[in-house]
Amino acid sequence: MNRLKPVKARIQALKKQAHEVKTYTLTTENLPFSALPGQFNMVGFPGVGEAPISFSALVRENCFEHTIRSAGRVTAYLDGLKEGDELFIRGPYGKGWPLRQAEGKTVLLIAGGLGIAPLRPVIQGILEKRGLFDKVYLIYGAKNEKHMLFTDEFQTWEEEFPLFLALDEISNPDSGSPRMKVRDKRGWEYHIGLVTDMLDKVKIYPQRTIAFVCGPEIMMRFVCRGLLLMGIESSSLYVSLERRMKCGIAHCGHCQHYGLFVCKDGPVFSYKQVRGLPDGLL
Amino acid sequence: MTGEDIFRKFKKLIPKESFFSRLDSLAKKYRLFGPVNIKNQTAFREIHTSKELFMEYKSTMLSPGKLFIFRPKEELFRFHKNEGIKIEELPPVSEQQIIIGVHPCDTNAILYLDRTFMGIYKDPYYEARRKNTMIISLNCTNVSPNCFCSSVGSGPFLKAEKGYDMLLTDFGDRYLMEIKSKRAEELFNMKGKKAGKEEMEIKRDIENSVLEAFTKTIAVEGLDELFLRNMDHPVWQHTAEERCLSCSNCVLVCPTCFCYDLIDESSMDMKMTRRIRQLDACQDMRFAEVYGGNFRQRRAARLRQFVTHKLNQTVQYGVYGTVGCGRCITWCPTGIDLTEMAIEIRRSEKDM
Ligand SMILES: Cc1cc2nc3c(=O)[nH]c(=O)nc-3n(C[C@H](O)[C@H](O)[C@H](O)COP(=O)(O)OP(=O)(O)OC[C@H]3O[C@@H](n4cnc5c(N)ncnc54)[C@H](O)[C@@H]3O)c2cc1C
Ligand code: SF4
Ligand code: FES
Repeated sequence: MNRLKPVKARIQALKKQAHEVKTYTLTTENLPFSALPGQFNMVGFPGVGEAPISFSALVRENCFEHTIRSAGRVTAYLDGLKEGDELFIRGPYGKGWPLRQAEGKTVLLIAGGLGIAPLRPVIQGILEKRGLFDKVYLIYGAKNEKHMLFTDEFQTWEEEFPLFLALDEISNPDSGSPRMKVRDKRGWEYHIGLVTDMLDKVKIYPQRTIAFVCGPEIMMRFVCRGLLLMGIESSSLYVSLERRMKCGIAHCGHCQHYGLFVCKDGPVFSYKQVRGLPDGLL
Repeated sequence: MTGEDIFRKFKKLIPKESFFSRLDSLAKKYRLFGPVNIKNQTAFREIHTSKELFMEYKSTMLSPGKLFIFRPKEELFRFHKNEGIKIEELPPVSEQQIIIGVHPCDTNAILYLDRTFMGIYKDPYYEARRKNTMIISLNCTNVSPNCFCSSVGSGPFLKAEKGYDMLLTDFGDRYLMEIKSKRAEELFNMKGKKAGKEEMEIKRDIENSVLEAFTKTIAVEGLDELFLRNMDHPVWQHTAEERCLSCSNCVLVCPTCFCYDLIDESSMDMKMTRRIRQLDACQDMRFAEVYGGNFRQRRAARLRQFVTHKLNQTVQYGVYGTVGCGRCITWCPTGIDLTEMAIEIRRSEKDM
């Protein structure tokens, strides 16, 4: 079996999600896989290349989703595609979020920016089997309202667990005076400040809590340190790392993180496993 | 790999002439590769007669494993664009080949590459070549100043029991031939004196005399902890800033460095794209770059990645990444020496 060989996928639906971010609903002939939350595909196009992209929704009714920000060569090309167009994928790769381990526990989901995308399958999994989990909280921060993803799903999510939303800045500061909170058109309330500020809002028993954190590495650093201070064990904290990837199968060496292959041993790691490693920010 | 089959691991003393004429008779069916003298260097090349071989060589710039098994550049797929895109999967090459005279360091390096390309995920291109390649290893009696295989257990005499086909030791006008695979047993079922205890003792004596020729060593005991304690040691910064050119020579000549890049090359009329893989190097500025950052922006971080991938980071495969061949030292234009960096760190700990 040649794992580097991509298969064609067709764009069933395309949705602009936020500034430079789109969600691609994809299907392939004889869908060759089932995936786990936190796993990723190599997505690309011949002549352009490939990039690792997390599942933002797992396979359902022969479709799955990727939520992609136009960030460079490959993703800018994908950004130009339309419904019905083809692209190429291979996967799924990597170790995902330990959702089974979260059963019966309080679950803290903490996302920064695009980090919400790999956590969305976790959210969907929890919504499907809400009863398996104890309390669930989602803390989600983005640069400003324009960068908030999946806002039209917040309603459904909030019916099952509380959401705490944070923005680094207000996109259109309408008055000169500094503000602590803003409300968007739909009535969602955003705290102005860092994701870490929101940690004060959750009430947890540290020993019975598991946290899944995904976002820029520097944000994960501060969130994890905050969670440690709240008494959560570093082995109950999980982070998803981003590294440059070419193969996805522990061959090309690009994603190496001090002896770990982020593509195979991760991208989801316990904080304990990756804390303080050289060339990382955790 | 070989090894699973039952075979007689015979040990014989074979006159060199008969060994070489057997090789010549195999040249019709197999592509042969071996050490060849070119001006005042030795390089592994394809040979057509055994007369081209230079078996007393010291070291080569490039290792046979990264020339003939893991190819430095290899085409994997072709995408044809007519109506819709058709993927053509280029089949792994099935040519039968024999590599002759592979030193223990380089044999161990191939065993190391096996961990990458034939671990839980198999690379079909590597696997096909590996299976179709017979490896005739040669115990090393020609130590170079930069060799430190004796310190890391990968030479000068080969200890591995499998993963290759035959082991030769130079006994003057004869080779001590130790068979390690069934196919070698079949191809080299030759007349010769059966080697017993006495020959094994001679072999040990030769090994001991070779061991005395080493000038470079590295103390491996506690090496992992030493590096982990010294991730911020000044040696990284000053060696990188004062001497490293980020030229990537070290990585390219390293027989265990496996990193590659995937590259798409499209024809001028855009009708066809070739997906190629070729060697890549962690010393390259953009190797670890991601959106909005670069995990090894600093030269010191990149140098540290190379050195610790060889001398530390054993979590990866449970073995050291170095086989002690010394190539990175020899071919570094400014003579950066990873063993000296380890010594500098050790010394500074003692001084504290
Ligand atoms: C496990 C994993 C999951 C991921 N999931 C997602 C996801 O769900 N959604 C998503 O959007 N992203 C995701 N990413 C990130 C995504 O893979 C990267 O953003 C990837 O780099 C995009 O590839 P690209 O070819 O479009 O960008 P690249 O061309 O590789 O560009 C990436 C960066 O390199 C810079 N760059 C590129 N070319 C040059 C040049 N010539 N000179 C200087 N700088 C240059 C760009 O400015 C940019 O900052 C994930 C990454 C990983 C590792
Ligand atoms: S060969 Fe020497 S100068 Fe070149 S990248 Fe390696 S250590 Fe640096
Ligand atoms: S992406 Fe190639 S080794 Fe991880």
